[in-house]
Amino acid sequence: MSYLEYNVKFVPSGIRKVLYLNWGLILLLSAIVAFGLLMQYSVAGGSTQPWMEPQFKRFLMGLFAMFVVAMVPIWFWRNVSAVAYVGTFLLLIYVELFGSVRMGAQRWIDLGFMRLQPSELMKIALVMLLAAYYDWLPLKKVSRPLWVLIPAVLILLPTALVLTQPDLGTALLLMMGGGAMMFLAGVHWAYFGTVIVSGVGLVATVLKSRGTPWQLIEDYQFRRIDTFLDPSNDPLGAGYHITQAKIALGSGGLTGRGFMQGTQTRLNFLPEKHTDFIFVTLAEEFGLIGAVMLLTLYALVVGFCIVSALRNRDRFSSLLTLGIAVTFFLYFAVNTFMVMGLAPVVGVPLPLVSYGGSVMLVLLAAFGLVQSAHVHRAR
Amino acid sequence: MIRKPLRPLAQILKVRASGGDTSRVESDNRRARHDIMMDKARIRAEGRLLVMGLAFFFAFATVGLRMAILSGTEPEEPRIAASGNPIIGQRADIVDRNGRLLATNLETHALYAQPPLMIDPYGAAAGLAAIFPELDEEELIASFTGDRKFVWIRRQISPEQMQAVHDIGDPGLLFGPRDMRLYPNGRIASHILGGAGYGREGVDAAEVIGVAGVERQFDQYLRDPANEGAPLQLSLDLTIQATLERVLEGGMMIMNAKGAAAILMEVDTGEIVAMASLPDFDPNNRPRVLTSGDQSDSPLFNRAVQGVYELGSTFKIFAVAQAMELGLVESDTMIDTTGPLTWGRFRINDFHNYGPRLTVSDVIVKSSNIGTARIAIEIGAERQRDFLTSLGFLAPTTVELAEAPSGQPLSPRNWSEISTMTISYGHGLSTSPLHLASAYATIANGGTLVSPTLVHGQPHEPGPRVLSPEVSAAAMAMLRAVVTDGTASFGEVAGYEVAGKTGTADKARPQGGYYDDKVIATFASAFPASDPQYVLVVTLDEPVETSGTEPRRTAGWTAVPVAAEIIRRVAPLLGLAPKIANLELEGVTLTSN
Repeated sequence: MSYLEYNVKFVPSGIRKVLYLNWGLILLLSAIVAFGLLMQYSVAGGSTQPWMEPQFKRFLMGLFAMFVVAMVPIWFWRNVSAVAYVGTFLLLIYVELFGSVRMGAQRWIDLGFMRLQPSELMKIALVMLLAAYYDWLPLKKVSRPLWVLIPAVLILLPTALVLTQPDLGTALLLMMGGGAMMFLAGVHWAYFGTVIVSGVGLVATVLKSRGTPWQLIEDYQFRRIDTFLDPSNDPLGAGYHITQAKIALGSGGLTGRGFMQGTQTRLNFLPEKHTDFIFVTLAEEFGLIGAVMLLTLYALVVGFCIVSALRNRDRFSSLLTLGIAVTFFLYFAVNTFMVMGLAPVVGVPLPLVSYGGSVMLVLLAAFGLVQSAHVHRAR
Repeated sequence: MIRKPLRPLAQILKVRASGGDTSRVESDNRRARHDIMMDKARIRAEGRLLVMGLAFFFAFATVGLRMAILSGTEPEEPRIAASGNPIIGQRADIVDRNGRLLATNLETHALYAQPPLMIDPYGAAAGLAAIFPELDEEELIASFTGDRKFVWIRRQISPEQMQAVHDIGDPGLLFGPRDMRLYPNGRIASHILGGAGYGREGVDAAEVIGVAGVERQFDQYLRDPANEGAPLQLSLDLTIQATLERVLEGGMMIMNAKGAAAILMEVDTGEIVAMASLPDFDPNNRPRVLTSGDQSDSPLFNRAVQGVYELGSTFKIFAVAQAMELGLVESDTMIDTTGPLTWGRFRINDFHNYGPRLTVSDVIVKSSNIGTARIAIEIGAERQRDFLTSLGFLAPTTVELAEAPSGQPLSPRNWSEISTMTISYGHGLSTSPLHLASAYATIANGGTLVSPTLVHGQPHEPGPRVLSPEVSAAAMAMLRAVVTDGTASFGEVAGYEVAGKTGTADKARPQGGYYDDKVIATFASAFPASDPQYVLVVTLDEPVETSGTEPRRTAGWTAVPVAAEIIRRVAPLLGLAPKIANLELEGVTLTSN
């Protein structure tokens, strides 16, 4: 197929766009949210309050946002991506200065009807900007140092800001998500090699900084690292989350204890049971089978995104779709690794399942972008 | 990189020659070059995507695998080393030799409060004060409204009280399950069982620990989970223990004694079938230890084991038996009993004047102090001390009671000749009634040493030989004669051939010297005399028998009738068949045809 033979057959327009939405993806996302709602109901002891009903309302809001975003042509989003990035960055600075402090971290802007976490927004804004950047950048220049430095700065600026909140989980997600975008865009291997090597060096330095006047991270973060390495050291203190989570996972077995029968979660052994550690509740009540079902749903969502990206000839669209899929995947992976004791506890929610407004809204809107790319691709 | 030029001369010339459009060549080549570049980019992008996909796959696989491993493992509660060993609430039962329950556990609850959880501290305090009258409402309010996080209210509450507290309905009032020790037979065998209390106390359990008696002695055993709850079987027989206690209590009241002790022991094994000390107590509700005065006046004091007394004439048989064992005398050897016997500044008198001489047998039967003292002089101080040591009189008994070591006999520091003489008739050496019972069992069983024990069914081997069987038999014959012809005539129980020796010892004043109106009256007996099976020692503290014209205190009038009544009741329970051949059946008329 040559360049000139390639012709745009048609791009759907008007209300016909609805027909060209990726309905399979919407179905998958709804199924995941349904899992979450079920767990919110169970964790509250068989009640729609205080978690399930607000979560459901936010899901409806998010679904609406997704449709709105999906209907807007993808090139509009490409054109506003720089604006989105700058705006979100300013919000992050605002949070740094005026945000409400909760649980030891400044993360929220109270909008009245909901609490907005600009750091969640930033994950998507960063992906948008990087996709637009590599769409604009000629392929030849992708690996040139100056053109590598620019996206690196774009990634590191918000990362640094988020780290000062301090929110290790989001910083990690920003770094990894941005890095994945650069990787997918085709930046030379050597850069990643360098970053990984220096990253290891940095971790070593951070660990060494403990107890010195120039200590780089908070004490609680050090403790989390310690207990990650050996949770049984401190089963009632900082290792409590993980130990109890492992007990719950173990007590679930293959088929689980049954809906609303989880003792670990029901009896309040687990803190954060409706947010970061909801996967544990699920694994205890529905067992390995239920957990693998949810796992499959997540994998399918990522798979759908990859297929959609591969079929899209627009570089911005496919990069954006892949970037959102990667972000979504990173949420999931970091959360599950964390609750299963494979990674330190860094406070990343299970996407679309954990209770929490910002993540749900932002993620559904982001999948609106994926839908927009899907709908408006050249056919 | 050598790239194909956009306008290669050869191609241009060729196109010109064929009359084509040369500008087309350039655009074609430009397009081809673009296609190559796009293909390269696509291949690279696909490669990158593949790497990414692999990373995704491995991440998913890791999560899945980890989950499978975790769900396959048995959940394990974390053990916290800091809070110490877990409290083991379970404690083994104690049973008698027939397996009847002497001590067991009952699940009960402790009541505590967590003031931060309380809704209405004032109402709760008022409610509690109504349920438990001994609690002070003001104090409760003070502790509920202060900044205390945890308040014990009662260590042990009954189910009815628990329900009443439930009905108060305050979420800050909480119950902790725990075991309590229960002695279903109340006061029976109280000194042997001792009692139990709480050690370390937790909210969910409390450690029951033995505080006295076998509960304390066998505390480790009773709490050892390795025994899997196997009960501790004592040598006691509940029926016989109850009978003995009842008779002893009645006897103590009739004889106006302030205390009493009795021991019933198997002569061969040393197993204690029944042992009592009065006054007693209820181990379910142990009285407090006396903080002033004499501990031996406390009901907690075990007179049979802890109390050491000069046991008087009951000791005479040991001097006689030793003299016979040494070949110094025979049972019909005549002994000079002219009195008073003066030795230095001491004078030894008899209760009555028994004439110038008596046979050895009659020295026992008539209970002659002078005769016994003369025999003791023949034996000598050293041999007497050795013999009494071999009978176990100079060390605390080894019975399995926590209190046993405190029953340390009191012996003269300087075992002089006068000591030898006084000890021979039971003065100058203070021992517990249990010592006496063991020594009588040694005489009665043919002469092998008996160690008292409270545990049933231990493998038993005869102890070291102390007396020859012949001496043992001769001594038993003398003791039998004491009952038939001597000072213990009230001790005869038809059919059971009671043999024994009385002993009436003046009580020592704390400031030295002796009371002349306070005695320890003891009857040490063995039955049946022809084949001794059991030894019974009865000791009464300060008895006065007042049925006659003047008060009588001697053992023959006080301890002996009580012991006889005990034997009359328990001998059939012990399964001893009465010897009816020589029996005069009172009130039964034999009829022919």
